[in-house]
Amino acid sequence: MRRSKSLWATAMAAYVFLYAPLVVVVVYSFNDSTMNAQWVGFTWKWYGVLFNDEEMLTAAWNSLLVGLVASAVSTVLGTMAGFALYKYQPKVLPILVVAPIAIPEILMGVSLLIFFVTINLTLGLISITLAHVAFCVGFVAIVVRSRLSGLDESLVEAARDLGASPWKAFRLVTLPLIMPGVVAGALMAFTLSIDDFVITYFTAGADAMTLPLKIYTMVKTTVTPEVNAVSTLLMLVTLVLILAASKLSPSVLRQAD
Amino acid sequence: MKVSRTQRWAVGAPPLLYLLIFFAIPTLIMVVASFRQPGEYGGLAPLFLEGENGTWRLDVTLESYRAVFSDTLYTGLFLKSFGYALVTTFACLVIAYPLALLIARSPAKVRDLLVLLVILPFWSNFLIRVYAWMIILGPQSAFILGLNGLLGSVGLEPVELLNTPFAVVVGLVYVHLPFMVLPLYANLEKHDPSLLDAAQDLGANAWQRFWRVIFPLSLPGVYAGAALVFIPAFGIFAIPDILGGTTGIMIGNVIKQQFLETRDWPFGSVLSMILTAIAVLVAGLAAWFARRSRL
Amino acid sequence: MRRLLLAALCLMSTSALSKDNVLHLYNWNQYIDPQTVARFEKACACKVKQSYFGDNEELVAKLAAGAKGYDVLVPTSNYVQGMAKSGQIQALDLALIPNLKNVAPAYLNTAFDPGNKYSVPYAYTITMLGYNEERMKERGITVDSWAAIFDPRILEKIKKKVTVLDSQNELMAAALRYLGYSVNERDPKKWDEAKAVILKAKPYWSAFKATGYIEDLAAGRSWLAHGYSNDIYQAELGAKEAKQKFHIRHALPKEGAVLALDAMVITKSAPRPDLAHKFINFMLEGQNSADLTNMMGSGNPNTDAQPHIKAEIKSMKAIFPDAETAKKLEMLSDLNAQQRRLLNRLWTQIKAAK
Repeated sequence: MRRSKSLWATAMAAYVFLYAPLVVVVVYSFNDSTMNAQWVGFTWKWYGVLFNDEEMLTAAWNSLLVGLVASAVSTVLGTMAGFALYKYQPKVLPILVVAPIAIPEILMGVSLLIFFVTINLTLGLISITLAHVAFCVGFVAIVVRSRLSGLDESLVEAARDLGASPWKAFRLVTLPLIMPGVVAGALMAFTLSIDDFVITYFTAGADAMTLPLKIYTMVKTTVTPEVNAVSTLLMLVTLVLILAASKLSPSVLRQAD
Repeated sequence: MKVSRTQRWAVGAPPLLYLLIFFAIPTLIMVVASFRQPGEYGGLAPLFLEGENGTWRLDVTLESYRAVFSDTLYTGLFLKSFGYALVTTFACLVIAYPLALLIARSPAKVRDLLVLLVILPFWSNFLIRVYAWMIILGPQSAFILGLNGLLGSVGLEPVELLNTPFAVVVGLVYVHLPFMVLPLYANLEKHDPSLLDAAQDLGANAWQRFWRVIFPLSLPGVYAGAALVFIPAFGIFAIPDILGGTTGIMIGNVIKQQFLETRDWPFGSVLSMILTAIAVLVAGLAAWFARRSRL
Repeated sequence: MRRLLLAALCLMSTSALSKDNVLHLYNWNQYIDPQTVARFEKACACKVKQSYFGDNEELVAKLAAGAKGYDVLVPTSNYVQGMAKSGQIQALDLALIPNLKNVAPAYLNTAFDPGNKYSVPYAYTITMLGYNEERMKERGITVDSWAAIFDPRILEKIKKKVTVLDSQNELMAAALRYLGYSVNERDPKKWDEAKAVILKAKPYWSAFKATGYIEDLAAGRSWLAHGYSNDIYQAELGAKEAKQKFHIRHALPKEGAVLALDAMVITKSAPRPDLAHKFINFMLEGQNSADLTNMMGSGNPNTDAQPHIKAEIKSMKAIFPDAETAKKLEMLSDLNAQQRRLLNRLWTQIKAAK
């Protein structure tokens, strides 16, 4: 594949843009000051504070858990929805898929809270996960749908002609072909879930705490570097998890070449 | 190929049902709320009021709807948010495209890593990242000091980037960038390299190859990314709040206020529905364009 | 009677921590000293699970939507009336709260809760101005009045170095006070006057900030902030800790200001009202009440707490105003739905203006 220098340069500039704030976050996690205002000196102490902060650690763990479950469920549902949108041109589904992305989070949060209370669902990690799936499905569906467009139908037909059931044809032919779209959707869903604040705020109830909620409480007064520390760690942990997952199932991330 | 009814149902029903239960019904509660009176102390007033003879009547009103259109205040803010969302979408497209292209063309092993590197920053925390931008764009940052030093040496006035519309756009673009990169990448990844080779053999230069071959093929990905950036950006409130200074208000902020400070849920509901309707319209247009450009 | 029985049962029952032996506290961010919480957990042999809100409105919104599971809430007192009328909080069993006698009479029996039927004072803050002493001196500005954030002649000298609270109630209150009206003025014409004052000053402000102004002051990024007394105290400490060459000071404007008295209430659906009462009584003990003041610099309505409070905080007139100043302080009362709508429209106009 030919690679032009200018393409490489602009792409690298984009990476710099993406990582500039991150560098600030990571560097300031070592700041020897209770505020994130100015650099005072280097220290490891905030990581120490973090490891003793049970609330923060629980919140981080909850966020990871909810993120994994919510992204898994919404990826499955979203892929189905994307497929249905592409093939069957349904009437109602398109709106139901797009609207949760469009609707202001605060409205969705309040209305879900009212709904959960009405059906007497205990508010907690489960209610949060259900809420997250609702708004993540659309992201996955839209990406999968766009990946499906331009799909070579003849491959699928060939499989069917050879006697494969629709499910088998999907699993062995279509799915590998749209896998980058599915993975992209899953990554987006996960990101949306672990970072969600507004909807989680309303559907969390008295017992469940996720990281964005916990961080919000600190942001309202002073942002100590402990927050930077937990952000840095969360990134690292998630990265390690994903890399480990990709090692275990190399075919997942990669399209069948 | 004939599609059986059961197949349609098996695939379409689960997401449909899920969204009906956990999205449509809760939202319906708020749609009805837009016709109700705000509660005296917050929330909503009771739907039914006791009448004189002990009969119950429905206490509904169009007051909230009238309030939205009574002057240009709210429509102006809708337009402002629309404008910002549009600018953000274009900026994201311009920045994301080279990145997605590079990743799509990279060898398989590196590709996954590059994709992960794009999304990794977004597993930190939203607020922290935005606050980091406050530091970078703030008057005491190395970046700003360096920039102003540069401007000063050429005889230009120093700039203040924080608490300006520029800062808001930077924040909006930053936060939405992966949602443009990933759909674009998912689309570009499947492009057949032989098409490009053929174009080059036929004498097309790099720019023509891009504009006549790559870009049109990638349109479905472009529309998907545009939808996933524009729609959330349209209703966002946190970024104008933090980076926007005194003029940073957008319609998302007004909606948030209705549910919190003002405790005027009916009004917030009306604004939300208008916002959603516009966004769904835009998404519909995007899908329509995408279908037209389907190859 | 039933609650006394419950309390007795609680005392008699297992001292081991059971899953249900949890008190759910829904409080402001960082509005309780972790040491106090630990002390309570030991005293009652139970666990305290905390949830946080950043603003009364978040609390009210969640409750209005039906959120359950909380025992003790700490809203600002003017919201207590609304909560009581909406049936969201229960009447307190004052027999279980003998420490109520520790509270200074001035803070009891307020208009919002006669007889303290539903609420008990927790702490108070005063909304005022925080400023960078050195920068103001350099420009010959004495910060003793709301004019510091409203008068364009003063603002000229500190352009874009001023932040104000992002709160429609607080900012309007400040403007009304500046004009000489009560903060609870309801006349729409007077509101328009206040709006005009705000719009004249707005171009000189850098941002509306309900949070983060502490750091701005401490880092020297902003020189004057409209904020809460305990936050400004934090900024003072922060600047000292960062070894800044300037000092942050309080200023209670001479026209008067808003006093926010935060109170403890018990939700109607509280899972453990017995623990809730125990907690409230516990927090009214001198040392426990003082912990928060020492940590945050918040005002303390508890007379028993005074000997436990650090001397340097006690001497701050801004946190513990004398009788003269106290006369000029007012508490905000809640608005009805129509007024809230009008106020929000004004606020949106203010924010949307250039």
